[in-house]
Amino acid sequence: MKWRSEDMDLYLQSTEYVDTAIVPLIPIAWGNQLKHTVLKGEFPLIVSEELERQLKGRVVLFPTLSYLTSESDVDIISRLLALKDELSENGIPHIVFVSSDARWSDVDELRADLINIPPVPLEHMEDEYRRDVIGEQVKHLLQIVTKKWQNTKLGE
Amino acid sequence: MAKKDDVSRRQFLNYTLTGVGGFMAAGMLLPMVRFAIDPIMKEGAKQDMVPVVEVSKVTEKPQRFTFEIEQKDGWYESKVTQAAWVYKDKNGDIVALSPICKHLGCTVDWAASPAHPNQFYCPCHGGRYEKDGTNIKGTPPLAPLDVYKKEVKDGKLYLGQAVPQ
Ligand code: FES
Repeated sequence: MKWRSEDMDLYLQSTEYVDTAIVPLIPIAWGNQLKHTVLKGEFPLIVSEELERQLKGRVVLFPTLSYLTSESDVDIISRLLALKDELSENGIPHIVFVSSDARWSDVDELRADLINIPPVPLEHMEDEYRRDVIGEQVKHLLQIVTKKWQNTKLGE
Repeated sequence: MAKKDDVSRRQFLNYTLTGVGGFMAAGMLLPMVRFAIDPIMKEGAKQDMVPVVEVSKVTEKPQRFTFEIEQKDGWYESKVTQAAWVYKDKNGDIVALSPICKHLGCTVDWAASPAHPNQFYCPCHGGRYEKDGTNIKGTPPLAPLDVYKKEVKDGKLYLGQAVPQ
């Protein structure tokens, strides 16, 4: 489900079937290394959108969570954890942060909830190749997410 | 001078009234016209058949093929990738099923559940379907998978809209 009122109606009718939030993490900076920064957000977003398409009935794709690259680790992490708490108190036990920012690849507090994917520059790729690259990454994420689900039986 | 002024004022009024009248007339007429030709416009908006795969590549085992269609999402038009599960049934007829689970819309996979190797399986809530798309009782989906409209031309399979079985 996407972040729009129509989909929320569907959610409200089927809350017992939905237990996972997908949250793409997007770093923001202007100036130096602009393109590099954009790249780190672009791929996670595309992959998250595709993941939502495949798992529409059980996940909600959240608006991207963005942060200034100059913000401190502590601040950003506490924001992520605050969102996680908010969700788990309100019926969404699983949260999946999708990121291509190496900054989070080794943070203990996030380890269980963050999937780190390598940033892939898609801009000069042939359509077909691009689809393959995205498809591969989505498959990888699918495995991780369905594994999370294995221990939770929903709506049964 | 005054006379000239008069005329131009009258003209002005004339123009304005024609203008306003024209607008009103158009406002009334347009919906009527649209109503009359709507079926034609709808026909044009209907999804075209898109070439998906060579018929010779279709096997008895369902395979997943993707193709692109133009989709209108509100005011936003974009290309979307769609997928179909395609196979030849016992009579050699081609069947193309939509992978969208009829429960809440996840994407189903063929033989993804080890316990049910000859069924479509939905990873979200364990929905299952027979090869022909029939939903299996006791799993969440309440309807069979949609089937794509299909056409074979010059050895190629073309798919159109997915419609409920
Ligand atoms: S969306 Fe397929 S079983 Fe629920």
